Amino acid sequence: MDAVQEQAVSAPAVSALDTTVPAPEGISADEIALYDRQIRLWGVQAQEKIRNANILLITMKALSNEIAKNLVLAGIHSLTVVDHALVTEADLGAQFFITESDLGQNRAAAAAPQIRKLNPRVQVIVDTDNIMSKGAAFYGSFDIVIATDLQPDTLNIINTATRINHKPFYAAGVHGFYGFIFSDLIQHEYVVEREKSNRATMLQAETQTRSVVDVKTKKENGKSIEMVRKRELYSTWYLASDAASLPAEYLKSRRRLKAVTPILSCLRALWEFMTFQDGRLPSTSEDLKLFTVLATQKHKALGLPDETLRSETLRKFLGQVGSEIAPVTAVLGGQLAQDVINVLGSRQQPIQNMVVFNGDTMEAPMYPLHPDGALGEGLLPLSVGAESGAILNGGNLAMNGVVPIFQSEIVEV
Amino acid sequence: MARDQFNQKSLGIPLNTMVKETDKSEQARILMVGAGGIGCELLKNLVLVGFGEIHIVDLDTIDLSNLNRQFLFRHEHIKKSKALVAKEAAHKFNPNVKLEAHHANIKDRQFNVEWFKGFTMVFNALDNLDARRHVNKMCLAAEVPLIESGTTGFNGQVQVIKKGQTACYDCTTKETPKSFPVCTIRSTPSQPIHCIVWGKSYLLSEIFGASEDESPEMDHSKDTENGMYSSKEIEKLRQEAQALKQIKEAIGSDTFPQLLFNKVYKDDITRLRSMEEMWKTRRPPGPLDYETIIKEVPEIGMSKERILKDGQRIWNLQENTIVFKDSLERLSARLQTMKSSSNGSSAEPIITFDKDDDDTLDFVTASANLRSIIFGIETKSRFDIKQMAGNIIPAIATTNAIVADLFLTYIQVFLSPFAPERLLASDRIRAPNPDCEVCSVAQTRLLVDMSRATLNDLVEDFLRMELGYGDELSVKNEVGLLYDPEETENLSKKLSELGIKSDSFLTVTDEDEDNPRVNLVLNVRESSTELDDKPIKGLDISASSEAELPTSPIPRRKKPAPPVQPALTNGHANGKKEGSDPISSAAKKRTASEALDGDSPDATRKKHQPNGQGTTENDDLIIIEDDGAILIDD
Repeated sequence: MDAVQEQAVSAPAVSALDTTVPAPEGISADEIALYDRQIRLWGVQAQEKIRNANILLITMKALSNEIAKNLVLAGIHSLTVVDHALVTEADLGAQFFITESDLGQNRAAAAAPQIRKLNPRVQVIVDTDNIMSKGAAFYGSFDIVIATDLQPDTLNIINTATRINHKPFYAAGVHGFYGFIFSDLIQHEYVVEREKSNRATMLQAETQTRSVVDVKTKKENGKSIEMVRKRELYSTWYLASDAASLPAEYLKSRRRLKAVTPILSCLRALWEFMTFQDGRLPSTSEDLKLFTVLATQKHKALGLPDETLRSETLRKFLGQVGSEIAPVTAVLGGQLAQDVINVLGSRQQPIQNMVVFNGDTMEAPMYPLHPDGALGEGLLPLSVGAESGAILNGGNLAMNGVVPIFQSEIVEV
Repeated sequence: MARDQFNQKSLGIPLNTMVKETDKSEQARILMVGAGGIGCELLKNLVLVGFGEIHIVDLDTIDLSNLNRQFLFRHEHIKKSKALVAKEAAHKFNPNVKLEAHHANIKDRQFNVEWFKGFTMVFNALDNLDARRHVNKMCLAAEVPLIESGTTGFNGQVQVIKKGQTACYDCTTKETPKSFPVCTIRSTPSQPIHCIVWGKSYLLSEIFGASEDESPEMDHSKDTENGMYSSKEIEKLRQEAQALKQIKEAIGSDTFPQLLFNKVYKDDITRLRSMEEMWKTRRPPGPLDYETIIKEVPEIGMSKERILKDGQRIWNLQENTIVFKDSLERLSARLQTMKSSSNGSSAEPIITFDKDDDDTLDFVTASANLRSIIFGIETKSRFDIKQMAGNIIPAIATTNAIVADLFLTYIQVFLSPFAPERLLASDRIRAPNPDCEVCSVAQTRLLVDMSRATLNDLVEDFLRMELGYGDELSVKNEVGLLYDPEETENLSKKLSELGIKSDSFLTVTDEDEDNPRVNLVLNVRESSTELDDKPIKGLDISASSEAELPTSPIPRRKKPAPPVQPALTNGHANGKKEGSDPISSAAKKRTASEALDGDSPDATRKKHQPNGQGTTENDDLIIIEDDGAILIDD
C-alpha cells in the first residue's frame, strides 16, 4: 500500500514543484510548447532527462512499434532500431509503420521513415545487423536497452551484456492475448515526494528488493513535504525467467498463491520449450504434451496450487503463441514505454521485475521474481546468476536450469 | 489473408469474421466520437483489427500541444481537421477498412437517433462533459452499446454502457466546473486561483470583453448570504465597476496602463482596506503604486523580452508590472485594430481569455500575480497559471494507448457470438441507477404530423388517452417547461410553433403523488406523409387498453435507491479533483483470485496503471485514487 499512498501525494507535487524551477539550458520554448501536456505531468527536469536519452530497441515488430511510437513522441534524444528480418505479409496485421509496399524490405529500415515523422527532433538510427553479431561493447553507448520478441537465450546474452555495461535492460514479448515485460535495472534510485506523516520514515528495507536510502524534508505551502529516496535492486533475466521464486509473502499465503496468474507458468514453460527446441514454437500434438508437462512443472516449482492451471488455459495459451494483435501490443508497449520514461525521470516506482499481461482478464499483475541473497550490483560477478538462483531455490535445477551461454565475443570485452 | 492471420488466430474465426464481413447485415459498423489522444490510439487499434466500417466525428482542429500524443498528426497538420487527418493517416494501416470522417459537432442535428441506430457500437473518446452526456443520451435512445473512456495523466478509465443492463454515464452525478463566491474573488482572495479568476473573469473581461456576470466561474448565489457582504458593499463594487468603465475610455493612450494599475491595485485596495471589520481575522491587503514600482526597475536586466521568455520562473513585483503594462498595450492595440476594421457594423469587438493566446495569458499572469502580492498570496509562474486558468489536463501517449486497448474487452463482449450473456453474468457491472433521469426512463419515438399536431394532441390524446396519464403531468423540452396543469396556454399551439422539430427530445414527468410513472422521453420524428387519423403516434409504445391500471405501458417508479457517490470523472469536469468511484473501490478489493473465478471480460470500470504500480507487494488490484491533475487547490 505504501507505494500507492506515495503516488497519491507525489504526483501533484511534480507539477507544483518542478515547473517553478527555471528550464534547464537547452530546452527551448518550442519544445516546452510541444511537450506542454506531459511536462505538466512529470516536470521539466524529467523532460530534460528524457531529451538526453539514447535508447536501443531490438526487433521492430508490433510491440516495438508501440514502444518506438511512445518514446519518440515523448521526445528522447535518439532511438536505435536493430532488426535483420524482412517484412512479411503477416507483419502487416498489427504493425502500423509499414504498408504492403514494404514487403521484403528490412523491417527496421521500412519502419524508420514513419517513426521519424512522429517527431523530427528525435534521431532514429537503423541497424540491419543480426543482434547476435553484436559484441558487449555495442550496448555500452545506450542509456536503456529494450529487447522484444526474442528467444529466451538471446535475451540472456543481451542481459549479460547490459550487466557488463551497467545499463538498464527491458525484455518484452507478446503471444496474442498474452504477454510479459521483464526489467533488470540492476540498481535504480528514485525520489518520491509525499506529505510528511506523524511517523518518521526510517532508512530501512521495505521489501526484499526496495529500501529507503535517504529522506529530506522541505516546506511547501505550509506543509512538510518529504523527499524519500528509494533504491530498487534487480536480478537477471536468466533467473527471473526460470529459477527465481515468488517473494516470501506469496509463498506464505495460499490465497495469494491461488491468485497468481497461470500465464506465468505458461510463459516459463514456453521459454524452456523454445530453449530446448531450437527456438521453435510448440505446434504439434506431441508439442502440446511436452508443453503440458513443462507448464505443470513450472507451476509446481512456483509453488502454485494445481487447480489454478487448467487444461483449458493451456490450450488457449498455445492457440495464441506466436501471434501479435494490435490492442495487446498497445497496452504492453504503453506500459513498457511509460516505465522507461519513469526510470529516466527517477520520480516514479518502476516495474519490479516481471509483468504478466492476460488479455482474457485484462489484468497485468506484477511479480518480483528474484533469488535469495544478494541482488543488484551484488549479482554482477555471477552476472548470469545461475548458481545462486538455482541452488537457493533448490529442487528443480535438473529440469529448469539452463546452462548460461557466454558468447565468447561478449566475455572478451 | 496473410495480413489477417494473427487476428484470425487470436480472436478466433467467428469473431474475426463478424468484425470484418462487409456483405453481411451484421457487419460491425463503429462510431468513434473524438479523434484526440484516445481517439488516435483507438482508431489505430480498430483499423488494425479490421472492423468493416468506422465513422469518425470530431469538430476540433489540430494544435501543436496535441503532437506529443496524438500520433496520427504531424506538424504540417496544425489547424487542419482532426477527423479528416486521422482518417487519412489510419487508412494506411489497413486499406481494407472503410473509413468515414465528419468534421462536425456530434450535437449537430444530422447525427440523430436514427443515425446512431445504424452503428453496432459507439466509442466515446471525448474531452468534455457536455458532449459525453449528449452521446450517452443518444445511445440510450438508439439502444446502441456505448463505450466511454477518459484519461488524466497516468490514470484512465473505461466504462461500458448498455441500456437497461448497466449504469449510464449520467447515473452518477458528475462534478461541474468549480465556481467561486463573488466576494472571495472581488474582496477576500486567499489562494492563487482566486486571483487568477479575478484577472481572467473580472479584469480582462471588464476591459476587453463581456462583463464578469456572464462568467460561470463567478457564483453570485452567496452574494448576500454572509453579513460581510451587504447590499451596501455590493453598491460600492458597482461604483468601482463604473469607475473602471470610465478609465476604459483611455484604452490605447500612453497613460492607460498607469491609470488602470493605480485604479485596481491602489485606489480600490485602499478603499477595501478601509473596511476594517473585514480584516479583523484576515491579513489586510497592501496597495501598490505604479510610479514607485517603475522607479525601482533597474536600468539593465529587465527587458520585457527576457521576462516573457521565462515562463517557467515566477516573476517578481517589478517583472509582473512590466508584463502588465506590456500585455495591456498589446491587447489595447489589438482591440483598436479590431474596432477600426469592423467599421462599427457588427457588435463591439471583444477579446476573451484563451490559454493559447499569449497576450491574454501574459495579462492574466501579471494581473493575478500583482493581486496575489497585495493579498500576501503565493505567486505563480506563467506556465502554472496557464494550466490553472486554462483548465489544462496533463495528457500522455502511454495512458491513452492503454485505455484505448481496454476497449478490446468490450469488442469481445458485444461481438462475440459465444458469450452474449457474459455482460449480465458479472456481479461487477454496476446496475442502472433507478433514479437516473437519463437512462431509467421510458423512451419512445413519436411520429408527428408537424403540419397540424398541437401540444394538446400530445397531452390529451397521446399521453392521457393512449398512455393513461392522469391530470398531474408536465412536459418539458431542452429549453424549459411547455405544459403542466398550471401552464396551459401553450395547449392550442402547434408543436412547430413551440420550437419542436424533428429529432427534438421531450420529457414527460408524471407528478402523481402516490404511484408515479418513470419519466418518459419522447424523440420526435417528423412524419413525411400526412397522418390520416391522429397527428401523433407512438412508435415503440402501444396504447394501454384501460387507463390508470397498473398495466400502464410506462413502468412505475421504483422505491428510492440509496444515494450514489459522485463518479470518478477523469477529464470530464475540466480536470477538477476526482471523487471516488464505487466501482473503482470495488475493484480495489478485487483480488486476482476472484478474477480467476469470475467471468473474464467484465470489468466495468477499471483504472489502469501503465507502469505496473497497480500491484505492490500484495497482488490485489490497487487503484490509485489521485493523479497529477489537481488544478484547483482548495
